[in-house]
Amino acid sequence: MIELQKVHKVFNAATVNEVELFRDFDLHIPRGQFVSVVGSNGSGKTTLLNLISGTISADAGKILLDGADITALPEYKRARRIGRVFQDPSVGTVPDMTITENLSLAENKGKPYFLRLAVSGSAKNRYRELVASLGLGLESRMDVPVGLLSGGQRQALSLIMSTLTPVDLLLLDEHTAALDPKTADLIMELTNRIIREKSITALMVTHNLRYAVEYGDRLLMMHEGKTVLDQADEAKKAISIQNLLSIFNEISIECGN
Amino acid sequence: MLFYSTTIDGFQMGLCFAILALGVYISYSILDFPDLSVDGTFPLGGVLCTIFMLRLGLPAVPAILLAFFGGLLAGAVTGILHVKFRISNLLAGIIVMTALLSVTLAATKLLTRNGQTTTIFSYRSENLVGLFNGDLAKSIPTGARDYFILGILLVIVILVKIIIDLFLKTKLGYMLRATGSNEKLVVSLGKNAGNYKILGLALANGFVAVAGAIYANLFTQYDNTSGTGKVVLALASVIIGISVFSHIPFFKDTTAVICGALVYSLCLNYLVLVDTNGIYLKLLNAVLFAIILIFNEKTSSLLSRAKLRKGGKGK
Ligand SMILES: Nc1ncnc2c1ncn2[C@@H]1O[C@H](COP(=O)(O)OP(=O)(O)OP(=O)(O)O)[C@@H](O)[C@H]1O
Ligand SMILES: [Mg+2]
Repeated sequence: MIELQKVHKVFNAATVNEVELFRDFDLHIPRGQFVSVVGSNGSGKTTLLNLISGTISADAGKILLDGADITALPEYKRARRIGRVFQDPSVGTVPDMTITENLSLAENKGKPYFLRLAVSGSAKNRYRELVASLGLGLESRMDVPVGLLSGGQRQALSLIMSTLTPVDLLLLDEHTAALDPKTADLIMELTNRIIREKSITALMVTHNLRYAVEYGDRLLMMHEGKTVLDQADEAKKAISIQNLLSIFNEISIECGN
Repeated sequence: MLFYSTTIDGFQMGLCFAILALGVYISYSILDFPDLSVDGTFPLGGVLCTIFMLRLGLPAVPAILLAFFGGLLAGAVTGILHVKFRISNLLAGIIVMTALLSVTLAATKLLTRNGQTTTIFSYRSENLVGLFNGDLAKSIPTGARDYFILGILLVIVILVKIIIDLFLKTKLGYMLRATGSNEKLVVSLGKNAGNYKILGLALANGFVAVAGAIYANLFTQYDNTSGTGKVVLALASVIIGISVFSHIPFFKDTTAVICGALVYSLCLNYLVLVDTNGIYLKLLNAVLFAIILIFNEKTSSLLSRAKLRKGGKGK
């Protein structure tokens, strides 16, 4: 499904601030797999997602989506097949537009945006039902600008917006990090439901080890641009939070901090 | 009597400037783009319309429509400079504004006769069907002429308002609003946000050019310096409109902007009554704009505090 071959990424090349993050980085995720990614700060998790989405470009190597080379494709073209939810809840929605308007934008993804009225009566009802299914009580606030909603409410909306049209790949970057524990659990459960119902291939970065252990078919741990742990299916199920923590500590000791 | 004619004048100019302000509403409010090319596209609309009417003998309406396309083109150039060549928004606007100074000057040469620049509508004005001096206008008694002009202006302004309102409800309009508010989201919807910026700037300047064309019709002459200060005028109108009038129930932003333009233009006209020599006009103009901005800060913080209090109680 998505494949990284010998990807190189160097930041601030040829300056004193040079950071060589990825060298010969390989990763292959088969269709329908739900991968959780953990790792210390600065280990390259966000950069990995940025390379896949095209927000930044690789210095060398190839990125393939369904076997097609997308290494040179601009971000907005890749986005037609890739959905993404960010850590910051304000990035995934348009704050000045209402819930209805936001959903209409998302629903028209991949279609040409012509001079047709954006929201018809039947669409309004459809959106209301969709929002009601979140169970957040937002269905009574369909005409409220999204900027006035709470972070958790906005993040729930971002999530359904990013998967409203069929996407091949969903990238989640610490999308529950800005939320209180209860809302985070709710969003995580919603995420899992959507990914499973629509059988989307997903890559989820999280600092919550419990989510990484409980959810997903495969677990990656990153450290300084390398995968130091990669377990799938049965082997992944055997991993506990305690295991993960001790591996974390080992790495830290090896690195002398 | 002077006060009366000043008021009528203020309303006529205010309606004309409302079209300008509606254009700038698209670039400034919707796209969040401070577009300085307006100072150039306003006279561009005027000179284009005048040329089409005088040289090609077109009636006013098609001439104004053609002026719209002229503004569209100029606005697109600003957008392309900014989006494709990564020139900052202010500088892109300044470049186009400066270039248009020459373009309009050269175009004015087309309208001179025997090396003498005539006020454009005055020559051949007999067989010229202007927007406000056609047969219909001539049949109206002189006393009511001013109201007739006001009526035509009002119809045009409402038409422009409805067009913009409808446009902003289309899928394309939604994308434009999203571009101004959250560019990253537009990218994640698989669209090139830059293209929407170019489109929005083109449209905005199209309407600005229409305002310039109507302004030329209103004063039956084209004035090459008519662009000066139009950015400030339009921004002031938009800011007054959004900060004061958009809070009135059932007032859309576009309606509010029109009200803003009327209020500001009336203020400007009354300033002329105060400063009859016109020496301090620009200074007073600037002071007025500053007062509006200060006032705007105050009201918006007051309003948001009031909203917070209301929201707090509601929950
Ligand atoms: N644009 C950039 N310019 C320079 N260095 C960068 C840039 N982006 C990332 N880096 C560096 O690359 C490394 C990896 O950063 P990245 O954001 O991918 O980490 P992360 O794993 O997402 O960390 P966190 O858990 O804190 O989000 C860091 O050392 C960071 O300083
Ligand atoms: Mg990160």
